[in-house]
This record gives sequence, C-alpha cells and structure tokens, in this order.
Amino acid sequence: MNNAGPVPALERSEGVWHAAWRRFKGDRLGMVSMAIVLAFLLLIAAAAVGLVAKHWQQEVGVPNAPPTLMGPAPPEATGAIEQPKGPNVDISDIDPLAPKYKEWAERAKQYQTADTVKAETLPLGGDRLGRDVLSKVVKGSQISVFVGVLAAVVATLIGTLLGALAGFFGGKVGDFLEWLYNVFTAIPDILLIFAFAAVFGRGIGTVVVILGLVGWTSLYRQVRAEFIKHRTREYVRAAEAIGASTTSRMFRHILPNVSHVILVRMSLMVVGFIKSEVILSYLGLGVPVDQVSWGTMLADAQGELILGYWWQLAAATAFMATFLIAFSLAADAWRDALDPKLRGIE
Amino acid sequence: MAGLLSIQDLKVAFRMGQRNGVVQRAEAVGRGAVGVSFDVAENQTVALVGESGSGKSVTAMSIVNLLPDNAERSGRVLWRGQDLLQADRPTLRALRGREIACVFQDPMSSLNPVFSVGEQLIEPLVTHLGLKPRAALARAEQLLVEVGIPEPTRRLKAYPHELSGGQQQRVMIAMALACEPKLLIADEPTTALDVTIQRQIIELLAKLRASHGLSVLFISHDLALVGEIADQVVVMRQGTVREQGSAAQIFNDPKDAYTRALLACRPSLAEHNPARLMVIDDHIAGRSAHGAAHAKNPDAPVLLEVKALAKSFWLKEGLFGKREFKAVRDVNFRLRRGHTLGVVGESGSGKTTMGLTLLRLHEPTEGEVLFDGRNLLTLRDAERQAMRRRIQIVFQNPYASLNPRFTIGQTLVEPMTIHGIGGDLTEREQRARELLGKVGLDDRAFGKYPHEFSGGQRQRIAIARCLTLNPEVLVLDEAVSALDVSVQAQVLNLLRDLQDELGLAYIFISHDLAVVRFISDEVLVMKDGEVVEQASAETILRAPQQEYTRKLIGAVPRGWTPAAV
Amino acid sequence: MAAYVIRRLWQMVPTLFGVVLLVFVLFKFFGGDPAEILGGLNATPQQVDAIREQLGLNKPWWVQLGIFLKQIATFDWGKSWATNESVANLFATRLPATLTVMTPILLLDTLLAIPVALGVAYVRGSLTDRALTIATTVALSISFLVYVIIGQYVFGFQLGWFPVQGWSDSTWTNLVTYVPLPLLLAVAVGVSPQIRLYRSFFLDELGQDYVRTARAKGLGEGPVLFKHVLRNAMIPILTNVGLALPGIFVGSFLIEVFFSIPGLGREVLLAVNRSDYPVIQAVTVYLAVLTMLINLATDLLYKVVDPRVTLK
Repeated sequence: MNNAGPVPALERSEGVWHAAWRRFKGDRLGMVSMAIVLAFLLLIAAAAVGLVAKHWQQEVGVPNAPPTLMGPAPPEATGAIEQPKGPNVDISDIDPLAPKYKEWAERAKQYQTADTVKAETLPLGGDRLGRDVLSKVVKGSQISVFVGVLAAVVATLIGTLLGALAGFFGGKVGDFLEWLYNVFTAIPDILLIFAFAAVFGRGIGTVVVILGLVGWTSLYRQVRAEFIKHRTREYVRAAEAIGASTTSRMFRHILPNVSHVILVRMSLMVVGFIKSEVILSYLGLGVPVDQVSWGTMLADAQGELILGYWWQLAAATAFMATFLIAFSLAADAWRDALDPKLRGIE
Repeated sequence: MAGLLSIQDLKVAFRMGQRNGVVQRAEAVGRGAVGVSFDVAENQTVALVGESGSGKSVTAMSIVNLLPDNAERSGRVLWRGQDLLQADRPTLRALRGREIACVFQDPMSSLNPVFSVGEQLIEPLVTHLGLKPRAALARAEQLLVEVGIPEPTRRLKAYPHELSGGQQQRVMIAMALACEPKLLIADEPTTALDVTIQRQIIELLAKLRASHGLSVLFISHDLALVGEIADQVVVMRQGTVREQGSAAQIFNDPKDAYTRALLACRPSLAEHNPARLMVIDDHIAGRSAHGAAHAKNPDAPVLLEVKALAKSFWLKEGLFGKREFKAVRDVNFRLRRGHTLGVVGESGSGKTTMGLTLLRLHEPTEGEVLFDGRNLLTLRDAERQAMRRRIQIVFQNPYASLNPRFTIGQTLVEPMTIHGIGGDLTEREQRARELLGKVGLDDRAFGKYPHEFSGGQRQRIAIARCLTLNPEVLVLDEAVSALDVSVQAQVLNLLRDLQDELGLAYIFISHDLAVVRFISDEVLVMKDGEVVEQASAETILRAPQQEYTRKLIGAVPRGWTPAAV
Repeated sequence: MAAYVIRRLWQMVPTLFGVVLLVFVLFKFFGGDPAEILGGLNATPQQVDAIREQLGLNKPWWVQLGIFLKQIATFDWGKSWATNESVANLFATRLPATLTVMTPILLLDTLLAIPVALGVAYVRGSLTDRALTIATTVALSISFLVYVIIGQYVFGFQLGWFPVQGWSDSTWTNLVTYVPLPLLLAVAVGVSPQIRLYRSFFLDELGQDYVRTARAKGLGEGPVLFKHVLRNAMIPILTNVGLALPGIFVGSFLIEVFFSIPGLGREVLLAVNRSDYPVIQAVTVYLAVLTMLINLATDLLYKVVDPRVTLK
C-alpha cells in the first residue's frame, strides 16, 4: 500500500531492448557500422524509388571508359593498315547509288538526331557497353541487398513457425516436422538451390523463394531447441497453471524470450544470402538479364580483367565488402549488447 | 599449533568492463578499506559460512588463484610463510593438487566427462609425484577403496556419468587426496547432494581428516552442518567477516547481530514450534519472537481428497520397446481448509511430479482428485479452466518462474485477464497493486522487470500472481529451497500470515525436513514414488515408524552440540 | 550397436521417400515439359507427342512415381538428355575429379583451423580476439568469386606460378600441378570461418567446471588446453566436419567452373543450364542417400569420442 504522501509516478524501468540499446551506444565500432548500414539503406531506398541510378542501362560512356581519376583511355592504335592519303577517288559513274545520295542527304536534314556525346571517362568507369559503373553498382546494391534481406525474412518466418510448432508440441507434429527437416537437409544446400533453379528459372522473386526454401533449416533447428528448452521452464508452466492458452504460451511468453536468438541468426542469413545471390547471378541463375546486381557485375568483370579493365570489379567488390563488413560488425555489436555474458571482459 | 594458512586483509574485485572510459569493478571480497582475515592452523577444520553473495567461495578460490581472468586480488595470503599473491605461475601450479587441494560443489560438472575415472585420478599423481601410469593406477585404486567406493577396479574404467552423485563426489575427494595435501578446500561439497548422501560424505571427510592429518577449509551456507564438523567458524556477510571464533563460542555465545540472526532464523527440528521465524532484520533491530503457533481447527472442511493417484512415464528401450517408469504410485491424502500438508522426500521420490499432477501440468495415469466432490482429473475445457482458479502453484526456481520479458504488472494482470476478474484494466491494475502490498512489496514494483528483484522478492511476486485468482489451495513446490536462510524465513512467515488471513490450504513440497516441520500440520514421506509414512507433523518427528523416515531425520544437520568436540 | 544401426537404417526409409517425393514433385509439377525440352526448339508437335509417349508421361502420376522409384532402386537413370551419356557413367567419371580437389581442401581447412583456433584460445587477449573477429569479418565479406577471379589473374596469369586452368588423367599430376591454386584459394577463404567457429568451441569448453578442476590439480595451461579442452571440443568439431562432408561431393562447383575441372559440381551446373533433368534428379537422390549414410557414420563415431552417448 502507498505510504503517506503523493502517489509516486509509475516507474517504467528499462526492458531488454532498452538496456541493449544503451550498451550498444557505448560500442563505437558498432555505432559506426550501424551508421554505414543505414546510409546504404537510404541509398537503396533512393534507388528503389528512382531518385538515383535510374538510367543505369543507358550507355553514356565509351566502352570500357576508365574512371575519372585515371583520365581518358589513350586512343587505340588502329592496326597495321594505314590510312591512304589524298582525296577519295570519285566513283560516281559506276556507283549505282550515286543519284540517290543527294535525295537522302535532303531527307536526312529533316530528321533530328540527338547525338549523345559519349563521355570519355565516368566517375567509377564504364563497363564494356559504356554503362556508368557508379549507377550500376548503386542499382546493383539495391537488388542484391533487397534479395538478401527478403530471402532472410522468408526463411526466418518459415523456420520460426515450424521450429516453434515442433519444439512446443513434440509428438506427431514434431515427428512430421523432423521428417520434413531431414528431407531438406539430406540434400546438400547448393544442390537443392540448383534443383530449384533448374525448375523455377531466373528472376528476383524466384531467387528469394529458392533461398528462403533452402535456408530455413538452420533457424528451425535453433528455434526448436529453444522452444524445447523453454516449454518446461517454470514461467511457462506457471502460465499454463493460470490458464493461458497454447498460442498465448507459445507466442506471447516464449517467443519474446527467443527473439534475440532469431535476430542474430537472421542477420547471419542476410550476409549468407547476399553472397549466395551474387554467386547465383554470376552463374546466370539469379536475377534476370535485364537487371543488374553485384553478381552480374562480377560476371562481366572476369572477362574485363584480362583486358586490363579493373574498375567494375573494384566497384562491385568495394560496395559489397563495405556493406557486408558494416552489417556483420553491427550485428556482432548488437549480439554483444543483447547478451553481456558473451562480451569479453576488458 | 603451527600456522598453515594465513589470510591477511584480502580483497578481490572483478573488472566488469568500461563505461565512459572508467573501468567498472565489482567488489566480491572486502568492502572499501576492510579486507578479509583469518587463519587456518594444522589439523584444523575452519568453516567459512555465509549466504549467497557473501564472498566465501571467492575467498577460498583466491587462495590458489582459481578465479577468472578478470579478478584482481590484493592483500596477503601466506602459505607457510610464503605470500601466494606474489607467487609466480609455476610456484602456484606446484602447490595446487600437491599441498592444497580442492573439492567443488557440483561433482558431475567438475569431472571431465570424456575421460575415465582412472585417467583423471592419476593426473595429479603423474604430474606431481612423477609416478609411472601403472604405479599411479594402483595407487588410484587404493584411493578409491579409501573413499569407500565399491568395486574399485571396475570403477577405474568407468566414466563420470556412470556414477551416482555421491560416488562422483567421493572420486573428487580421492583425487584431492592423491598427493597427500596439507589443506583441503571444500567449496559447498554437499550442497548438491541429497541429505542422506550428505551425511555419508561428511562422515567420510571427518574420517579422512583424522587419518591423514589434514586441515580443511569448509565453505557452506548451512550453519547447522558447519556446527557439527568445524573447529573454527568464520561468518561472512557481503564480503566482510562478521565474526570468527571456535564453533562452541559461535553457537553458544555469538557476539555479532548477524550471526545471532543466522542462528535464530533457521527452523530447527529440536525446538518447540514457533509461530514465526526470526528474520535477520528483526533480530538486528532487537525485536523478539512471537508466541507459539495457534492450533488449527481439526474439523475444518475437507477441500481436496486424493485417491490412488499415480503417474507413469514411458521411456524408449531396445529396438521398438517401451519401458514404464512409475514416478508416482498410489498416493492418498486429505487436505482441509487452512491446513498444510507437507510432502518430504529426496530427489527422485516423485514429490514434485505429484504436485504437478494435481494441477494437471502432468496428466495422471490413474487415480482421483476430488475437489468439492468433483474429480479434477476428468474435467474438460471450461470447467478445467475454472478449476485453475481454485488451485495454484508456486515453483522452486525464482529466477525462472517469472517471464523475463514481462513487467511485474503484466505478470500479475495476465491471470486476471484470462479469467475475467475485475471489470477493466484499471480495476485489475488496482488489484495487482493491492496484492503487491499484501506480499510486502513496494507499489513501484509494478513497472519493473524481474531481473531487478532478488530471489525472495521474486517468490513473493509469484505468490502474488497466484493470489490474483483467489485460490483455495496452493501447491508450494520447493518454493523456499533456493532461497537464503534469512529470506526463507521471511517467505515462510508470509505464507503463514496469508494462510491465517485467507484460509488457504497448502501442499508444501520440500526435501528440507526442518522447514516442512515448521509449516506443516500433516506430513507425507515419499521415496521412489511411494508414500513411506504419513502422519501428523509431531508424530513423524517424535515417533517415526519407518526405517527410511528415521534415516531422513538422522541425516539432518543438528548444529553444534557439546558432545562433538 | 547392431540394433541401433538397423533402427537408423529403418528410419532412413521415410526420409529417402520424402527426398524422392520432393524431387519428383518439383520436376513434375514445376519443371518444364520434358518432352518439349528433349525435342528441342524445332520439334514438331508429333515429335513431341512421340517423345512424351516414350517417356511415359501420359500415364497417371502414381505410375510415373513408381517408375521413378524403380529407376532409383536399379541405378538405371537412363541417359543425360544433353550428352546422351549414361548418368551412371557420369557419376563414375566425374566423382574422382571432385574428390581429388575437395578432399585436400577439407583436410587442410580442418588441420589448419584447429591449431590456429587453439592458439587464439590460448592467448585469449581481448586485442587478438577483436583483431581476429574483424579480420575474419572482412575476409568473409568479399565474395569467393572475387578471390578466385583475382587469384587466378595474379597467380596464374601474371605471376605464372600455377596453371590458370586444366586437368589431366593422372591423379598425381592433378594433385601436384592443378590442385594447388584452387586449394590455396579455397582454404584461404574457408579457413577463417572455421577458425572462428572452433575458437568458440574452445572458449565454451574453457568456461566449464572441469577445467577449474584440472587447474586445481596443478596442471599447467598447456595440458589443460591440449588434453582436456581439445578432447571435449572434438565433439562439436566432429559434428562440424560431419556436416561439411556431404558438401564435398558436389564440390565447390565454382572452383570446378573456374578452373575447368571436370567434376560433379560443374556437371550439375551444366545440367541446370541445359535443363538436363535426369542428371539433376539422379545426383540429388544419390547425394541424399550419401548424406544420410555419412550422418549415421558420424553418429557412430560419436560413441568413440563421447562416452556419455548411449546409442539406443
């Protein structure tokens, strides 16, 4: 009961996430990484709505234009054949088209051709068709990250739901889900991806579905183990004793206690799936031909490297590495902030 | 007697990381300028007694530096004149296992699971005494005989998980004694064992101490146990020494208020049954105990009648077979309003399973539980839900019985929401706050999370959660076993008060005979799923009929008695 | 023990059936019409119908499932749609190449990772830990593609230390000449996550009570780590290797593609691009069987490594 005096305001103390956020703020590396990730996400959002990199497909530069910093490519030697000097020989008497030239020249004057001046250099260089590598890499970031994140979400949803059901109920439901798990894990991941790819073909949605259907198994295992661990914990028994329903026990009680495990695993999945998409696209099994991703850029890059054009490789690698490093470090920092026990004592 | 170990002004702190550039430290031993000091002489048993957080384990572990990397020690630890705090690693390594040996609390995890008993036993012999493996194995076998392990030759090849808890601890003791050390540090060696096994281990230690001329540094929270075996007692609280002296002196004439309180607030088998237990703060403030308990009404209406309750589990065996494991067989009893039934047994007795079955957290295999004439075990759906309001349970582990992600308020309001008690959220919150007050907690607890509370406080919250439903029967499954003695007393007093005020009936499950005797009117003794003896609390204690009951009573530590000098 | 093996083999049957079902349903209901694929772009409708008849595609689906099951049981997969080579022959010729490359990689990965992880666990300084974490994170954030592209370019093309591509008929030549570059690149990439993983195993074990007991007995850090901790950590390490083992059969298809190694992985990739269903189906099913057998072998090996395990 209250003592004499005014009623004290309800003190809200910090929950798990607030405490973790406070700890996270103290980790400088984590904060920087998180900032980089957010910057990338902003860039990606801008690319998605078309604010930037909208015209990545346009061939704005000369083929294989070098980066601006390097200066334009030296003109190519034309080969052994020398240009003959002197005026052209007049062949209008034997040329059957000669009378038409004048008429065509008149007609041509009526048309307006926008002769785009192809740039000699582009900020990050150009690919073999003269497309701006900077635009490509930004658009590619959007596609690759989008696929990776969406696939991770799909895999997380499937793995969490099935893992919760298997872990909580056990029995026949658990047996069936274990059988399903065994079937999917009996086939090596890459092979399963190939099998799906062979059947479904290319496309962004397809890649998301394939990666999601193959990648749910590791999360399933973990979530199932966690649910098995928690279902006999006293607080769940207590919930049962006061009459809480099954869904309530599973999703209101246990799931919040497992969420940090799920999020850690999901962040690992994002990294893994982005890398998988890159490889798939490289092999021609990922995003369709009319899209660009880090993988398609790397596919181009291999041929270009032999010829000495390294900028597309560098751009794709740099963007991908930056994003993945920042994402991994930020995820690590979050994991440490959520579980102080894991953090090394300084 | 010559001085063996002399601890002088020891302080231990743990580095906990940095915040804003300042290294954070948690003091474990010593507070501020005051460190811990005591001596251990040759051939002497010194006991370090304290509750959790007193720093007793850390003190003992810091002698040979078995602390984690982030520990910082200061002061002096003199072993036969040499300061161990200044000693280098090779010196410490030479001492460990050779002159100073350790036995730890949990033998199952303290033994390496992938090596056999023999392989682990010979390690100190080979390392320190330079014995060849074969000679070492022979000596290991002798050691096993000495600690009372039957069939030692076979046991040498066994793995730790194949031994029982008591046997594992004997192996640990054998390992510790292998090189004839001068000092044995025993860190709560019997806390994880059943009380009858505890009795055996204590007797073994006493025998070995006499035959080897050992000194023992015995760490425990159990003052009664310590009184039986120690020569000197050092009482610690929150990192500092409150009092030290001979066992006789501590028990007969304790000077420090905390020591007195520790002695007083434990329910004992010998004394007359008080109405309330003394609590540390009461004692320190000088308040005296209340009068005797008032008698219960023997004709109170029967709330619960249990007939032939049984629960079996099916275990897989062989290729396709199943084996029946009878956890609970044929339990019968009657529980009256306002009365308490105590259920006593060691681990594996089935007492907890029985408690859970009453609430249908396990589905029973056989039997009837009649509540107001209706069989609880056959109720379904809505009726079953309604039944949940009338019988509730408090679990053993206060750290696991509250959802860490719910605020206290959410935890308390949830049962009311499920059963539709109270008109709306405001009413429920109001009721929750009232209940918090009733169990002795501040209103501000409403918005806090479980990790901000101590074990005793969490148990009170768990009790409050049960009370939201206005139950008539409360099952208390080892509800105070995980609590420190002084906190235990508080919670037991609270339970008594609530019973008087609300007319609750309790089923009190515990392995601790003294506590059961304090709170129960009738007692059920269980062993291996069966009820061995069943009578009123007084009768069980004064005139136990069965062999097992007598053994149980005999195993309970009695504290210091003049005869044991 | 025998009872356990029998039971496990018995339990494999539903899983195997599930795999077969999955492959069958996948290719039957989501894949393209095999008759059209086989017929090629210029086939007339009559030709396509004839092929359909030949393949038995007009029969009800459970009959087709039965035929499928029979094919698996008798190892008769017919021929590859693309090369007309018998699928069984395909296995026989491609598998050795894959194994020649992948086995050294797996071995070297594990044998390198364990000592390095042990070393890092021994030092256990926060600085080395942090450095290792960041180094592995950076290494893992660069696609394997990039490593191979650059590696091939630098070591093969520019420096000429290794051949850029190629394979021969002699295993010895392969091991000495053609394997080193892929081996180098694969291990450079694969070893860092292994080190991180094994380090976490070692650290987990270091926090256990029995380590404290070992120290209390007077053992030095060396025996504690190399005897007690290592022995216990072998259990999760074994699990890890057991999980990785089935993967080596498909090999790193990337390596095979880049270095023109005629292995199973590259074959599967080619089959995917050519919609060569028999090859993909066969490889999938047989690899599933292999995976299950390897799992069984790993579990049996557990009994040797972990005495607590009772096989029932």
